[in-house]
Amino acid sequence: MELILVNIIDGLVTGLLLFMLSAGLTLIFSMMGVLNFAHASFYMLGAYFAYQISIALGFWMGLLIAPLIVGVLGAGVERYGLRRVHQYGHVPELIFTFGLALLIEELVQFIWGKNQMPYSVPEILNFTAFSIAGNSIPAYKIFMIFTSVAIFIGLLYILTKTRVGMIIQAALSYPRTVEALGHNVPLIFMGVFGVGTALAGVAGVIAGPVLGTFPGMAFVLGSIVFVTIVIGGLGSLWGALVASLLIGWITTFAKSYNIQMSDILNGIGISTPENLSENVFRDLWTVTSPQIADILPYILMVLILIFRPAGLFGKRHS
Amino acid sequence: MTDENLTTDPARPAQRMRAGSLSLTFTPWIVGGILLVLMPFIFTSNSALTIMNQMWITVIFALAYNMLLGQGGMLSFGHAVYAGVGGFACMHIMNASDFFSSLPLPVLPVFGGLFGMGLALIVGSFSTRNAGTVFAMISLGVGELIAACSVIIVAFFGGEEGISGDRTYAMPFFGNEFLQQIDVYYLTSFWVLLSAALMYLWSRTPVGRMANAVRDNPERAEFLGYSARWVRFYSFVASGFFAGVAGGLFAINYEILTEENLNTTSSGVILLVTFLGGVGFFFGPIIGAVAFTLLQTVLSLQTELWAFYAGTLFVATVMFFPGGLAGLMMMHVPAFRLGKANHLIVPYIKTLIPGFIGILGLCALVEMTFHFRHAATGDNEMTLFWTTFDSHTILPWIIAIAVTAIGLGIARATAPALKEAWNEANTAGGAA
Amino acid sequence: MSTPALELTGLKKSFGKAEIIRGIDLSIGTAERHAIIGPNGAGKSTLFNLITARFPATEGTVKLHGEDLAGLQPFQINRKGLSRSFQITNIFPAMTVFENVRCALLWSQGYKYSFWNLVNRSRQLTEGADAILDQINLLERRNLPAGTLSYAEQRALEIGITIAGGADVIMLDEPTAGMSHSETDYITDLILKVTEGKTLVMVEHDMGVVFGLADRISVLVYGEIIATGKPEDVRGDPKVQEAYLGAALEAEH
Repeated sequence: MELILVNIIDGLVTGLLLFMLSAGLTLIFSMMGVLNFAHASFYMLGAYFAYQISIALGFWMGLLIAPLIVGVLGAGVERYGLRRVHQYGHVPELIFTFGLALLIEELVQFIWGKNQMPYSVPEILNFTAFSIAGNSIPAYKIFMIFTSVAIFIGLLYILTKTRVGMIIQAALSYPRTVEALGHNVPLIFMGVFGVGTALAGVAGVIAGPVLGTFPGMAFVLGSIVFVTIVIGGLGSLWGALVASLLIGWITTFAKSYNIQMSDILNGIGISTPENLSENVFRDLWTVTSPQIADILPYILMVLILIFRPAGLFGKRHS
Repeated sequence: MTDENLTTDPARPAQRMRAGSLSLTFTPWIVGGILLVLMPFIFTSNSALTIMNQMWITVIFALAYNMLLGQGGMLSFGHAVYAGVGGFACMHIMNASDFFSSLPLPVLPVFGGLFGMGLALIVGSFSTRNAGTVFAMISLGVGELIAACSVIIVAFFGGEEGISGDRTYAMPFFGNEFLQQIDVYYLTSFWVLLSAALMYLWSRTPVGRMANAVRDNPERAEFLGYSARWVRFYSFVASGFFAGVAGGLFAINYEILTEENLNTTSSGVILLVTFLGGVGFFFGPIIGAVAFTLLQTVLSLQTELWAFYAGTLFVATVMFFPGGLAGLMMMHVPAFRLGKANHLIVPYIKTLIPGFIGILGLCALVEMTFHFRHAATGDNEMTLFWTTFDSHTILPWIIAIAVTAIGLGIARATAPALKEAWNEANTAGGAA
Repeated sequence: MSTPALELTGLKKSFGKAEIIRGIDLSIGTAERHAIIGPNGAGKSTLFNLITARFPATEGTVKLHGEDLAGLQPFQINRKGLSRSFQITNIFPAMTVFENVRCALLWSQGYKYSFWNLVNRSRQLTEGADAILDQINLLERRNLPAGTLSYAEQRALEIGITIAGGADVIMLDEPTAGMSHSETDYITDLILKVTEGKTLVMVEHDMGVVFGLADRISVLVYGEIIATGKPEDVRGDPKVQEAYLGAALEAEH
C-alpha cells in the first residue's frame, strides 16, 4: 500500500514534467499547425543554461534566467527560421524543426562536450521531506510538483482570464479574423512559441539535476513527449495533461513492480513451454515489466492510433 | 482563346513528346550502367569499393524513402525500421545454413524486400490514414517501438551485439562465392540499377502518378475516384519493399546488423540524405546519397565535428534551398535552354569561390574554438588544413578571422552582380 | 417515369445548433440541366457538399440513379458516376495541364491502383486526355504546370478534370465565379459543349448563365427550396421575386 503511494508521487513528478513539455508543444501545434520537433531540445538547453548560470549565481538565478534565455531563443527560431520555412508548407516545417533538434544536440556537444554535467539539486532542497514506510521522499520532488502545478495555474489563468489569453485563444482557431481585427498575429505566434519553449526550458531547469544533464537528454524525453500529445489528441491541452499523467504513472509502476510475462501467461492458463531456450517466442516469456516500461508509451500510442485515431481527447477528423 | 487552338493537331505534340522522352528515358540508365561497371577500374582500392558499396545501398534506401517523402508527401521519421527488419531477416536466412546453401546470394535481397514489405503492410494499414503530421508521428512512434524491441526480442534482433552471418555459405553463383569486395560491388551495382529502374517505372504507373496527385491535393484525388488512403498505402508498401532490399544488401555487405540499423538516428540520416539531394526530382536522392556518403567519408576522417557540419548544412538546405541539390541543378535548365548559361560562369566564380573560402575560414574558427575548449590541458597543438599551430596563440585566430571576413565580404559584395547576371540569363532576348 | 438521375429526400444538415439545410426534396431527371440559385448564405455550397459526401448529412437520403449514397466515401460516389467541381479552384497546380486531365481519366479507364501499367505507354490515355484538352481549348497549354495558367484557364481545366472521368452526373459549383463577361460567355459555351447528353447540376450566381444553360431551376433560400421549375416560370414566381429580390436588396445595403 505504502509502495503504491510512493509510486503515485514518482509518477506524478514524471507526468507533470512531461506535461510541462507537452503543454507548450500542444499550444504551438494548435496555433501554427506545426509540431516542433526541437521542443525537447529547448528543454535540454534550459538544463544546460541553468547549470552554467548556477555555477556563477546559484540555482535560483538559474531557474529565473535560463527559461528567459530559452524563450528568447525560441522566439528567435520562430521569427528567423520557422517563419521563413512556413511558405514551403507543413512538411518542410517539420523537417526544419527536426534538423534544428539535430543541430542543437551537436551544438550542446560542441560547447559542453559529451559528458554529463555536474548539475545538482541545490543544498537548501537537498533533504528528505518525509518518508513513507521507509521510502524517503526528497524535498526536491515536492518542489518539482509545486513548481509545475504553480506554472499551470498561472498559464490557465492567463489563457482563460486575461485579454491576452482571449486573443491567443481566438488566434488559435481563427488567425485570419484576429488579424483583421488589428492584432499582430505573427507577433502572437512568436510570443506563443517563445512562451512554449520557455516552459520547456523551465522543465529542463528543474529536471536537469534529477534526470541528468547530458547531450542525449533531449532525445530521451523528446519522442515520449510526441507520443504523449498523440495519445492525448493533437491540439488538446486536457488530452496532453491526461496523457502525461497516464504515461508518468504507467512507466513508474511498470518499473517498480517486477511482473514477468510468464506469470501473466500462466495466469491466463497458458503453460510455459518446455525447452524455453529453444522456443522462438522465448523472449516473450522472459519479458519483465521494468524491461518494457520505456516502450509502454509507444505500445499505448499504437493501440490508441488503431482504435481511436484522433487520440483520447482529440476531435475526430472529418 | 482563339479558334486556332482548335485546329492544333492533338497527336502531333504528343508524338514529339514521346519520341523525345524515349531517348531521354533510356540514356541516363545506360550511362549509369556503364558508370557502375567502370567505377572499380577507376577507383581500385578496397576502401573505395567499400565506400561505393555503401553509396549504392544508400542510393536505394534514399530512393525508397523518396517514394514516400517526395512522391507521396509522407514524412517518415522511422523508415530505417523497414530496411533494418529486411536486413535482420536476411541475416537469419544467412544463418539458416540448409536453406541458405541452396540460395544464390544475389537473390537474397528479394527476401529483405519481402520482409520490409510485410512490416510496411502491417504498419501502413493504420498509419496511412493520414498524411502530414499524424503520419510523421506514427512513423516516429512505430520506429522507436521497434528500435526499442531490438534489446528485448533477442531471438530476432540479437540484443546489444546484433546478429552476424557469413555470406559465403550461399550457393555459389556461377562459381562465385562472393569472397572479394569486388564481387559484392557488382552484386550491389546490379541491385542499385534494378531497384532504381523499378522505382522510376513505379512513378510512371497509375498508382505512382496518383501518389503525386494525392500529395498535392488529396481531396481532389478523392473526387477522381481514388481513395487517398489506399494510394498512400500502396506507395508505403512499395517503399517498404525497396527499403528492405537496401537492408538485405547491407546484410550482405557488412555481414552484421545491430540496433543502429533500426534507430531514429538512421531514420534521420536517410531523411537528411534525401532532402539534401532534393525531393522534387527522381534523381535527387541519388545525388544526395552520393554527396552525403562522400562528405561523410571525407569529413569524418578530418574532423570530430562532422555531424555538426552535417546538421548545419541540413538546416541551411531546408531554409534556403528546399529543392536540395537537384533543385539547384534544375534551376539552371532555363538558362541552358536560352543558351545563356555561359553568362553565369564568371559571376559564379566571383561570388562562390570567395564565399567558399570564407566558409572554410569559418570552419577553421569553429575547429579552433572546439580545440581550445575541449583539448586536454597542455595539448595546444592542432593541425588544420595541413598546417600545425598552437591554438592558444593569437596569430592563427587573426588569420582565420581575416580569411572569413574577407571571403564572405567579397561574396557579399559580388552577390548583386550575380543576381543581375542570373536574371539576365533567365530572360529571353537581349544580347546572346 | 424512369428513375431520376439524382434524388434528394428530406435532406437536412445542421452545424451545431444552426440548421443550414432544412429538408430538401428534389428530383433531377437524366440529361437535365438543373441550376440551383439563391442568395448568399442560402446553403447552396453546403447542399453540394452533402450530395458529394464531403460532409455527412444529418438526416435524409441522396439517391444516384435510385441508389442510396449514404455512408459512401467521395471516391466511391465518384466511381458511381457523379463528378464535381469546386467553388475554389481545385486542381493539381504542380502537375502539367495534361497530367491533370490524365489523372482524372485513370480510374474510368480501369487502371485502378495498378503498378504494372505505364501511363505514358497507353495510347488510349494520351489520346483521351488530349481530346479533353481539345474540348476545353487548353491543348496549347498542355505541357505547362497547371498553377501557371490564368484564372479562367484554371476554371476551364477544373471543368475538364470534372468531366474527364466520363461521369454522367456533373456537378459544377459556381463555374463562372469571379470572371469577366467575355470569360463567362466562354465558360458557358464550354459547359454547354462538354455536358451534352449528361445530367448537369450547377450552383450559379450569374443569372445570365443560369437562364442560358438551365432546363430547370431551383431556388434555395435559407436552406429550403421555395420554387422549382422552368426558367420562365421561376422568373415569374412572386415568392421567388420577393425572397430573392428582397435578399438581393438587403445585400446591397
